[in-house]
Amino acid sequence: MTTLAPTPTAPRSGVSFGGILFSEWIKLMSLRSTIWCYSVLVFLTITLALLFGSTISVEGAQFDAAGEQALAVQAATLSVGISQLVIAVLGALVITGEYGTGMIRSTLTAVPTRLPALFGKVVVFGVVTFLISLASIVVAALLTAPLLAGNGIEADLSDPAYWSALVGAAGYLALSGIFATAIGTIVRSSAGAIAIVLGFILVIPTIVQVFALITMQEWIANLSAFLPSNAGSRMYAYVAESGATDPLGLGGLVLEPWQGALVLLTWIAGLLVLASVLLKRRDA
Amino acid sequence: MIEAVGLSKHYGATKAVDDITFTVQPGMVTGFLGPNGAGKSTTMRMIVGLDRPSAGQVTVNGKRYAEHRAPLREVGVLLDAKAVHTGRSAVNHLRAVAATHGIGRSRVDEVIALTGLQSVAKKRVGGFSLGMGQRLGLAAALLGDPSTLVLDEPVNGLDPEGVVWVRNLARHLASEGRTILLSSHLMSEMAQTADHIIVLGRGRIIANAPVADIVAMSTGTAVTVRTPDAAKLTSLATRDGVTVTATEPTLLVVNGLTAPQIGELAAKEGIVLHELTPTVGSLEDAYMQLTADDVEYRSNNGGF
Repeated sequence: MTTLAPTPTAPRSGVSFGGILFSEWIKLMSLRSTIWCYSVLVFLTITLALLFGSTISVEGAQFDAAGEQALAVQAATLSVGISQLVIAVLGALVITGEYGTGMIRSTLTAVPTRLPALFGKVVVFGVVTFLISLASIVVAALLTAPLLAGNGIEADLSDPAYWSALVGAAGYLALSGIFATAIGTIVRSSAGAIAIVLGFILVIPTIVQVFALITMQEWIANLSAFLPSNAGSRMYAYVAESGATDPLGLGGLVLEPWQGALVLLTWIAGLLVLASVLLKRRDA
Repeated sequence: MIEAVGLSKHYGATKAVDDITFTVQPGMVTGFLGPNGAGKSTTMRMIVGLDRPSAGQVTVNGKRYAEHRAPLREVGVLLDAKAVHTGRSAVNHLRAVAATHGIGRSRVDEVIALTGLQSVAKKRVGGFSLGMGQRLGLAAALLGDPSTLVLDEPVNGLDPEGVVWVRNLARHLASEGRTILLSSHLMSEMAQTADHIIVLGRGRIIANAPVADIVAMSTGTAVTVRTPDAAKLTSLATRDGVTVTATEPTLLVVNGLTAPQIGELAAKEGIVLHELTPTVGSLEDAYMQLTADDVEYRSNNGGF
């Protein structure tokens, strides 16, 4: 306790965005919840794809090439519907865990301008989630292709639309996580953020769909296409040259994958603007 | 140096901090005293930009905290509330905080050694005792080797050895020319550690002076008198500006007269004295008198 002076060789460095990214990387990787969530993601992606590939039977059904590709994409991305819940929970916890424990005070004392801390968090969590999702989806696709072939479905791995659907699935998972982080920053509570995000993914689309079916109003079906999870799920739809097909069978609007991504990105941008304003203004 | 000018924080109609102006000088330990709810913690949070002032401003070394390029190197802060994720180990917490400023692993290991956390550094913070949590908070505050330290209740939960360590650390850091602002409820501890005291009550500054001056504010040094003739001495001594309180049948506490005056009075009247002891006012006495009107949460001493 006698020596307090720092080693004189070290330069007196200040806050940098690179430093913030490294800090957020350390924070993300030093919690058990992160390791658990990503393990579940990898396990689900590969296991469900293998199950699908080994059990699917197309006897008696006739598929064209596009249909077979769509099935191959479905095999590799079958887990996305469940994985997005896992990633959404993790995305919320990334920020609400800091509010719940008080860590946010350390974070905002180290980065008192605040917004770089939020965006550092979003970048690190988004990139890590994207890369882990993409790796596990690609592994799932490669492992599943021979199983599908054994069941009469020949996936054409040289088809760019096939790969862009897989990349889209990983992108969708990363964006659903960031969506949850933005909600978490706004409401600052784990339970509240998770409830809202699950409501967006599971409850609201169902309610809108029921209304569309009851009323048979086309504008409600069209509205449904712009909900974050519905728009986002278009990111991993296999779209052959023949164009997109109507997934809900409601005769409503069908977004192209890039349009779906754009709609989801708009939602996230709006939420992040609100989150930024609140983060900047509120006492911590 | 910390400078607050017209600093205020209102929550609705409640004025947690009400237009306070003060300067915390470098090279000494400044103690922040006040009853619960007086605004000490709120003021400290405003210094490091966690709470936004309703009016006025506070600067550290001439700039608002958030305007510093390397805030952790200017100000180290220990807040009374927990500020650590319970699921993370102590060393990873410190590494994450250090990384924002490009502070390396060697400094992290230094502050771990300095605060005596080596044996628990790799354990998750959730299992820490209050004292260990305080040591981790102090380690984080020291990471940037800051020229100013803001410590809210730093000895809270520490064992006696830890209390002495914090006292010596604060004195040592002040002797190096740093600015130290610390709050404590332990008055005896504050008397030994601080050079200067700022007393807050209901969000306002009640006193802002060197420790010796604050102690001298303790009005009317008391004198303890033990005499078998307590009733007679009481009636003779009691007059304007003098109060005599009997704490036991033969023991009186006299305020407003000096020991020689009481001795001479007793000799003149032929009263036998068994004890005549002037008691010097303590910081605690001074504090209690200063804040008597400003205690927001008062315990009811049965019957009063």
